[in-house]
Amino acid sequence: MRPMATITLSALVMSLVQLTACDPVHDDAIAALGPEAPGVRQGPLHRPGQPCLLCHDGAIGDPQRFTVAGTVYETAGELVAAAGTTVVLTDAKGTGTQLTTNAAGNFYATPGQYDPTFPIQVVVQAPGRPAVRMQTLIAGNGTVEPNGGCASCHFDPAGSDSPGHVCLALDDGGTPP
Amino acid sequence: MRAGLLHVYTALSPLVLLAGCSIPPSDAQYTPPALPDQESFPPVAQLLVVRCGSLDCHGTPGRNLRLYGSAGLRWSPSDRPLVPLCDTQDEIAQDYESVVGLEPATMSAVVAAGGADPQQLTMVRKARGTESHKGGQIWSQGDASDTCLTSWLGGDTDAAACASAMSGVLPGGPSNPLMQCLSAADASAD
Repeated sequence: MRPMATITLSALVMSLVQLTACDPVHDDAIAALGPEAPGVRQGPLHRPGQPCLLCHDGAIGDPQRFTVAGTVYETAGELVAAAGTTVVLTDAKGTGTQLTTNAAGNFYATPGQYDPTFPIQVVVQAPGRPAVRMQTLIAGNGTVEPNGGCASCHFDPAGSDSPGHVCLALDDGGTPP
Repeated sequence: MRAGLLHVYTALSPLVLLAGCSIPPSDAQYTPPALPDQESFPPVAQLLVVRCGSLDCHGTPGRNLRLYGSAGLRWSPSDRPLVPLCDTQDEIAQDYESVVGLEPATMSAVVAAGGADPQQLTMVRKARGTESHKGGQIWSQGDASDTCLTSWLGGDTDAAACASAMSGVLPGGPSNPLMQCLSAADASAD
């Protein structure tokens, strides 16, 4: 009887694992990101500019969940990381936090650090430079991923469906809209 | 005699076919659907784009209620989010089509009743959170956003409620650049 129960439990668990792993749209979106960049290990500096929460979504077998994560670049025209930039987040309840971008321009928050109620507002500010306020709301309900992940909307090239990557300044030195 | 019968059948066939067509009785009338006012839609469209039409929500081609506008997906391939700053006439027209085309029969019934029971519309229920919605509850019955939408459905758009709703959620409130677009829409309507 005991082995039978074990088999049943195993089958149930396997079914659940298969269910969680069976989202072809999600899987295709992750596959489209491609492999890790040569010489960059998985960790805080990897995959700048990519939609972090595609993988960092807390699903079984995936890496640690992030609630908010992204990459800040210096300008609209080039992919130069804006390291040391402060990212100020405020959620719908007025709860805020400040994150700092690392050497790759990446920033992220785990649920333990910041678990916002969407929509959230964001301001980015580099030392000695004017603050840049995002003029619209981050609603937090991605079509493919739960948002929080800047690059799911802020991807390149800029177009009718994307403002382009997050940056501190336009190429002419102006502030992003 | 057989040939005569054949001629009679041949002559009668078109008449039988005609009689079989669905000809309405003479007193029947086509009732056009009651549509909400398009002229007073711009402030409602702007609110919908700000609250619902971000690039990760209804500013996505795959959504049934697809919204175009400055704060999300642009209609013109040459436009960018927030550039130009305000929703274009084309975008507002597309948003109108999206909204009235979602549930045309129900929309017609709600508008014909003067907006008396807007909760019949799925989009109203989803926004209020009374029906399952991936985006969760967006606003509450009777608040400024809800009033903006339902007043339009009732034929008397409360533009002040639309402005108040936008100001209440946009980063920076009244100083947000998108607030300029409401006054621009007012000026063009005048």
